[in-house]
Amino acid sequence: MIERQEYQDYVSKNAPKSPMVRTLIAAFVVGGIICCIGEGVGDVIKLIFKDMSEKDAAIWESCVMIFLGSFFTALGLYDKLGHYAGGGSIIPITGFANSVVSPAMEYNREGVFFGICAKMFVIAGPIIVFGVTVSFLIGFISYFVV
Amino acid sequence: MRTFRLKSPVYVKSGFTIVGPKEGDGNFGDCFDIVLRDDLWCEKSYEKCESKLHRDSISGAIKKAGLKREDIDILLGGDLLNELSSTSLAARNFPCAFLGLYNACSTFGEAMLVGSMLIDGGFAKNVTCSTSSHYSSAERQYRFPLELGNQRQPTAQWTVTGAGCTVLSSEIPPKHNCRVYEDDIISIDEGMNIDSKTLEKYKKSVEKQKQVINLDKSNIIEDNFSRLNNDYLCPNTHYAVVTGGTIGRVIDLGIDDEANMGSCMAPAAADTILTHFEESGMDPSDYDGIFTGDLGRFGKQNLEYLLSKEGVTLPNYYMDGGASYFTPEQKSFQGGSGAGCINTVFNSYILKRLQKGELKRILVVPTGALLNKDTPLQKETIPGIAHAFTVESRKFD
Repeated sequence: MIERQEYQDYVSKNAPKSPMVRTLIAAFVVGGIICCIGEGVGDVIKLIFKDMSEKDAAIWESCVMIFLGSFFTALGLYDKLGHYAGGGSIIPITGFANSVVSPAMEYNREGVFFGICAKMFVIAGPIIVFGVTVSFLIGFISYFVV
Repeated sequence: MRTFRLKSPVYVKSGFTIVGPKEGDGNFGDCFDIVLRDDLWCEKSYEKCESKLHRDSISGAIKKAGLKREDIDILLGGDLLNELSSTSLAARNFPCAFLGLYNACSTFGEAMLVGSMLIDGGFAKNVTCSTSSHYSSAERQYRFPLELGNQRQPTAQWTVTGAGCTVLSSEIPPKHNCRVYEDDIISIDEGMNIDSKTLEKYKKSVEKQKQVINLDKSNIIEDNFSRLNNDYLCPNTHYAVVTGGTIGRVIDLGIDDEANMGSCMAPAAADTILTHFEESGMDPSDYDGIFTGDLGRFGKQNLEYLLSKEGVTLPNYYMDGGASYFTPEQKSFQGGSGAGCINTVFNSYILKRLQKGELKRILVVPTGALLNKDTPLQKETIPGIAHAFTVESRKFD
């Protein structure tokens, strides 16, 4: 039989690769459009509630985008967008909503406690852990530095 | 010595397949017995649906062979789910001995080898060899939730939704396949081991379930019995006999990419094919069909490369079940995979051609990648395995 290393080299050299240009352009365009929608939502919120502060408007904007991400996941449309756009639809906050809602939908057949609640953070768990840890660290440092 | 030849002929009595909608649109679409319109088949979960596919493919095959449930001595079967759940749950509906087998996607090969040995040794008269896989349940167990918007890798394969069953027997099969109707498959019979409450629910859902069967494509609908590709139109001119096989070794050449299973399985397939030719004294020209399981397009290329290094060239009739399963427009990247892949191809397309006498002697090499969800995370490489069995077609006297 062939040597291990030789075969591994052959496989890594010949394996079909993702078309870089197409996937990057798709990710750029779709990610950009999602961010534009987010900006638009923020502008509309500021237009309706004129005395709302900039910070509060941003929070409400995130909430609306999370709702939209979850809603389109539930309709079964967000994964189709993801197949096409890749990182473009994973990285915005809508992608985070998708990664929480999709396991919740998948595991609802195992019941509320050990299905939905236990498995909801299967994919988003690492993001939450790192997010909380890093914000704690930065808060700790800034308490002493600033 | 890993290659064996059976002393007495082991007859293939019948083969029965049930597949999902995407598979029905694929290249073998008109050969399957039942094609579903909906891959949930009126069940509450994909795992339940897979178990039902499995159960009904066994009942269909038994009926098609002209046998009764009681005539089957041993059920041999397996699937990809944890602890063989869909096979075990399907097997509770049969009053037969049951052996659960697991060799990942090559389980069908294992079942055929064990089944033919059991019959050859005189331990059983009729044996069923069945496997199943379901795209959604496999995706959930090995990969990510269905609705997650991630991209598939270009080396990835698409798990086939389907189940198939072969009935092996020590008796020669009848010329006509016994007719199987939709009522035979999804009706309730006495032997079913379910409680009365479930039975009531089941009775209500039967009508609904019939509507989910794709009438245009399925070969068990009465109106379709006159179709050319149907098993019931004219008597078979030939019958299929399992004559021997080669039991595979676990081969690991250090591939650790779980999205590139074809490359993990290709070395095992190469090893089994080389061993088979060496030990049986045959060469590719003695066969008129060589079918590997689910290497996919890239895995097929790897296999041809590995064999060319050893000086063996596969003839142009060589076909890979997974690579040929879907059309390029179906966007399955490397093609089909899963325990139901080579099984549904063998029981529909290959078996029909054997029974018509279009193929004389074939070598079927189901391949499997041996991993679970945790082994790649624990930095293990993915070994492969492949079993081979030979089937000959003989003319009725």
